[in-house]
Amino acid sequence: MTTSSPIDLIDLECRQIRKTFDRYFTAVDDVSFSIPRGSFFSILGPSGCGKTTLLRMLAGFEQPTSGEIFIKGKSVTRTPPNKRPVNMVFQHLALFPTMTVAENIAYGLRRRRVGKSEIADRVKSVLKRVGLPDSGYKKIDQLSGGQKQRIAIARCLVLNPDVLLLDEPLGALDLKLREHMKVELKQLQEEFGTTFVYITHDQSEALVMSDQVAVMNNGVFEQQGAPRDLYYQPQTAFVAGFVGESNRWLGKVTSTNHAGIELMTDSGLKLSGQFGAEQSLVVGDRVEVFVRPEAISLSRGGGDSKGQNRLRCDVGNVLFDGAKSQVLVVDPVTDGEITVSLPQTADFASLIRGEPLALAWTAEQTRCFRAEG
Amino acid sequence: MRTSGGFRLGLMLLLSPMLLWLLLLIILPHINMGIISLSERVSSNNYVFSLNNYEEFFAESLYWNTFLRTALMSILATILTLLIAFPVSYYIAKMLKGRSKGLVFALCLIPFWVSELVRTYGWMILLRESGVFSNFLQWLGLADGPVEFLYNDIAIMVGLVYTSMLFMVVPLVTTLDSLDNSYIEAGYDLGGNGFTVMREIVIPHATPGIVSGCIVVFMLTLGNYLTPALLGGKDSLWFTEQIFTQFITRFNWEQGSAFGILLLVLSSLIVWLGLKVTRQSFTRVMS
Repeated sequence: MTTSSPIDLIDLECRQIRKTFDRYFTAVDDVSFSIPRGSFFSILGPSGCGKTTLLRMLAGFEQPTSGEIFIKGKSVTRTPPNKRPVNMVFQHLALFPTMTVAENIAYGLRRRRVGKSEIADRVKSVLKRVGLPDSGYKKIDQLSGGQKQRIAIARCLVLNPDVLLLDEPLGALDLKLREHMKVELKQLQEEFGTTFVYITHDQSEALVMSDQVAVMNNGVFEQQGAPRDLYYQPQTAFVAGFVGESNRWLGKVTSTNHAGIELMTDSGLKLSGQFGAEQSLVVGDRVEVFVRPEAISLSRGGGDSKGQNRLRCDVGNVLFDGAKSQVLVVDPVTDGEITVSLPQTADFASLIRGEPLALAWTAEQTRCFRAEG
Repeated sequence: MRTSGGFRLGLMLLLSPMLLWLLLLIILPHINMGIISLSERVSSNNYVFSLNNYEEFFAESLYWNTFLRTALMSILATILTLLIAFPVSYYIAKMLKGRSKGLVFALCLIPFWVSELVRTYGWMILLRESGVFSNFLQWLGLADGPVEFLYNDIAIMVGLVYTSMLFMVVPLVTTLDSLDNSYIEAGYDLGGNGFTVMREIVIPHATPGIVSGCIVVFMLTLGNYLTPALLGGKDSLWFTEQIFTQFITRFNWEQGSAFGILLLVLSSLIVWLGLKVTRQSFTRVMS
């Protein structure tokens, strides 16, 4: 899935990076990827999937057991962290509390023996670019969470790194600020044009900000692609379950045809579905089935809507959350719950518990994957 | 129901051992010493107010020279202790992990389960004329006869640094432990090398620990009696020995009290100067 850019437009390339700890635990397992210049690349995965180890290898704090890392075509696999043209924004930012904001930003420039007046100019200009022009004299503990965030990024970007690594820097912020910083980070990345490699376990951060997202699980990349592709064309059951919300069933294939499969879930629902192009399923195979809440159309009073899968259910709970409101419906046959997005129309404003609803969705939106084991 | 009066009583009961300790063992003796130091014996059981005892300290060059020498040696011992303890503490706090960290830290503490007197005698066994080092040098053929390592300033210094080690290592390990590794990594990531990371990040962070360790070590060294007396011999010229002589040998409690008060005042002055120079505040260092 690598982009076919010419080699000189690739900022970072990893070839079969592997890292094992204590000889038997493999944290990162033969991961290869390349990141085109100036893009925002996210690595998304649950905690313990190896993404932090991968990032630390890119920064130089860990040595890969095997494989090579290239930055702008040059191997940096054996370059120590202080000589690599990459900089890192740490999870808790690691702004030096004994220094002022300006001293923090100047730290890297002083290490490069930049002249005093030039340091002052560059610190001033980077502070202006991150929108905190008058904060140079402040102490770190006088800054708000969002300001610290911007200073941590400015401290790296003032050094003009080829690649900026970000280790879940939004994790410590409260929800409102996190939403705001997502947009701001994306804007900063576009303004500076630096390649960002961002790791996170929060799918919304990855989807909103990134040009490319790699979903990582158990040390390998499950799928890499644009956020839209991951969401609408997941290639593996893990990606389908991890990215976005889904209704999930386990079931068995009952028949196959050229367009898709018919299946019966363990709870007794008969569904028509489709499977990924690379997979071939035969009758009797165990499958995992995913349907997105917003893929299901609702109608009150049995009006007809399109889709091969049709169910009559009763309203269970209405989970009001503004534009993200959902309704939990109960299938009276199997007693299973299905989550459905609530359309923002007046029709559905007065749903009451126990009211019958007709559900419909297409076979294309019923994604099936071979179940493991 | 608990009332605020009951709460206050509980607090007083909790605090009373400490307050009693302060009052009986520190405040009262010092008040008494202050009064004694300001009196002069005219005849038996007849005392008058006088500043003579203090004047004596500045008039007799032996006294204030001894004090000066004690202070300078103590400062030197503090610096040497810091220089040795810092790498040890850094190794324990930052390089070691888990079990080995606890083990090495415990190894540093174990010698201090033994009394200071016994440890000092241990040094005497090593350093005396018929001791281990002397015999070893003769066995190697590097010395013709017995060599005396005891009863000089270097022996005193060795003993003082050894005795003080623990009081420097503990605060240093504590502060270095509290420095998150990501600060050190950020220091390298932004282009620093081992030296600059140490100077710009580790040492500024550890300054409160360094200063509090130095204060404790300096005060203990200055007030140490055993080590200079045993390793330095009769002529070690340590200020506490002057106090001892006044109280015990010459039975001049007035002069001894004056020396005791002077030791307290002058050493506090030196600590205050040290805090001013390093721009630290006492409450911050001790918290």
